[in-house]
Amino acid sequence: MSVTTVFDAAGAGHAIVPSGIAVTGVSRSFGAVSALLNATLTVPAGSVTALIGPNGSGKTTLLLMLATLLTPDTGTIRINGHDPVTEPERVRAIMGWMPDTLGSWPSLSARAALQTTGRLYRMTREQAAVRADELIALTDLGDFADRPSRVLSRGQKQRLSLARALVHSPGVLLLDEPASGLDPAARTSLRHLLRRLAGEGSAILVSSHVLAELDEMADAAVYLADGRTASPEQVAAAGASARAWRIRSLDAPALERALATPGVVGALVQILGVDQLGTLVQVENEASAAALLHNLVLSGVPVCDFGPAVGNLEHTFLDLTRSTGPDAEEMK
Amino acid sequence: MTDSRVFLAGLWLIVTLELRQRVRGVSWYVLLGVFMLLVGIVTFLLWLATSAWLSGGGGVFSTIIFFVLLLGTLVSPALSGNSVNGDRDAGTLATTQVTLISTGQIVLGKFLAAWITALAFLAAALPFLIFAVVLGEVSLATIAVSVLVLAAELGVIAAVGVGLSGILTRPLFSIVLTYLVVAALSLGTLIAFALLGTATQQQATSVNYQVVSSTYDEQTGKQSNIVCSTAQTSTHNVPRFDYFWWILAANPYVVVADAAPGSFDDGGHPTDLFGQIAVGVRSAQAPPKLYEENNWCDEAAEGYSGQAYGLGPTPQETYDGAVPSWFIGLTMHLLLGAGTLTWAWRRTRTPALHLPAGSRIA
Ligand SMILES: Nc1ncnc2c1ncn2[C@@H]1O[C@H](COP(=O)(O)OP(=O)(O)OP(=O)(O)O)[C@@H](O)[C@H]1O
Ligand SMILES: [Mg+2]
Repeated sequence: MSVTTVFDAAGAGHAIVPSGIAVTGVSRSFGAVSALLNATLTVPAGSVTALIGPNGSGKTTLLLMLATLLTPDTGTIRINGHDPVTEPERVRAIMGWMPDTLGSWPSLSARAALQTTGRLYRMTREQAAVRADELIALTDLGDFADRPSRVLSRGQKQRLSLARALVHSPGVLLLDEPASGLDPAARTSLRHLLRRLAGEGSAILVSSHVLAELDEMADAAVYLADGRTASPEQVAAAGASARAWRIRSLDAPALERALATPGVVGALVQILGVDQLGTLVQVENEASAAALLHNLVLSGVPVCDFGPAVGNLEHTFLDLTRSTGPDAEEMK
Repeated sequence: MTDSRVFLAGLWLIVTLELRQRVRGVSWYVLLGVFMLLVGIVTFLLWLATSAWLSGGGGVFSTIIFFVLLLGTLVSPALSGNSVNGDRDAGTLATTQVTLISTGQIVLGKFLAAWITALAFLAAALPFLIFAVVLGEVSLATIAVSVLVLAAELGVIAAVGVGLSGILTRPLFSIVLTYLVVAALSLGTLIAFALLGTATQQQATSVNYQVVSSTYDEQTGKQSNIVCSTAQTSTHNVPRFDYFWWILAANPYVVVADAAPGSFDDGGHPTDLFGQIAVGVRSAQAPPKLYEENNWCDEAAEGYSGQAYGLGPTPQETYDGAVPSWFIGLTMHLLLGAGTLTWAWRRTRTPALHLPAGSRIA
């Protein structure tokens, strides 16, 4: 089969519409350790889904199974309709995987590594060279594209790794902690890149520990704890639970006075304390937060910052791990 | 493109990638240079030692071939013994496996690259081999067969190195184990052969009839009135090397030596190292005489002819009378190489069902 027939067969032959990633009831254990227990999730084409969970919760294991490297013990996986266990070649043609470990051929330059990867995907020499140049521009590798990758910095290697996952323009992207080690500018451009790829119809699954960042780019989130995916009900309950809000005022004593005035703080609000960024209050739900802000403004407090102390994903994550993980306290 | 064209293209890609990764660079050329220097010195000394300008280049040629085999087996494990598990540790194995390259292409490509690397030593020794051929007395058959079998043996070591690196997870272990396999084949076979042969001693009996007295006729040189002794029986222990000669067949040096067509001088003596080793190995095939009867009286009556006993077969006769063993050894080696490669392929196949304890795929 030539490169075009593989891609055609994989892309169009079977599934006419790319259906993204579908995982049902997948478990995998390594000897006595069960890394994944009955994980279920879907990533529709054209969307970015965040994969969130504490260390050792099975994120990498799940991505390895999606990337045709591990077989699940039970359960089924479909990547655009193809089973990675029985049709690994079809899946590989349409799937790009960025590992969490930095690995690159040490004596090859970034450009040569990308060209080689292209050739491994059965591109011709010319196609691979063109694609490598595109990716070097895309991931801003230009200045060090011709140095051996042994000498690249962590962030530079991470960008090379991302570029390598994109070589064959895959319709399904699996990224294992892509943002780790990236500088803020690179993170922003990663975010834009992923949104653009999703807009072009890719199904993207991103695992990360930087939840604030995922907040900005993910359409949906999958929470893993001890190898289990949290059910939608659990996620909804955790998202709705009481959370901390941070208030900052231009006049700190005025804020303190207002909060001490009876009637301003409703029954559902509890003052947690003051930190260097402002005053933290526990708010039961968004309605009581709105009421509190209203009262503060009415009392003449010059409020300049009023919002949740942690992002949505982080709040849900912390709440879920608090309720399931034994080491939740340490996490906090 | 057909499927096999795609397979071969991917295979060659892995070979070139592997060669660029592992052996390119200054240190590699320095190593080859040092090797050439050593072979040069050895050639010169052999030329002096064997008076090659008179006796021909057979001795020099065969010794250089052995030298290449020695160096190849010493360097190859270090270069090939971590090719799969080293890549896994470096994180480049899994990223190759998610592309359209199959595990078979990876394992086979790494093997070919390791083999080509070892063959570079043969290529570096080429000028000296040509020099030995120019000295004369080296047959075309010897050149062809010994070079081919040497190349095959280097391939076996490369296959074992790559295979073990795919079977074991720790690079250090697989390199050490490859060295142990090389040592077991090169030295272990000799030790096992010697120990087993001498440990299975058997009693040999010899019965002698001695001339007690006789009358010797000066004129005719004949003896008459011979009085014979009764049968005198003596026993002694003999080692049974003939049970174990096949162990030596597994020795790579023996394989190369035994495969080369024997070249002998007029007196039936081997003219190169190959012949000497082959004669030694093949003579072990003959069982020792466990019962011997020497009737010296009959001999005396017939007059000592000198033919009846004393001179054994010439080395050439021993060589021609025994079974060649090299293809047994070579077959064993090829099976060993193919077996370890197959096992390595099974262990590294993805999607992986079982992972070796304590290893991660990426
Ligand atoms: N090959 C393996 N053999 C044994 N145990 C393993 C193996 N791979 C993973 N595990 C175990 O499975 C669990 C899940 O590991 P995994 O790497 O998937 O976690 P993770 O969610 O990616 O963690 P992190 O956030 O730290 O990257 C861990 O407890 C880990 O120790
Ligand atoms: Mg991980």
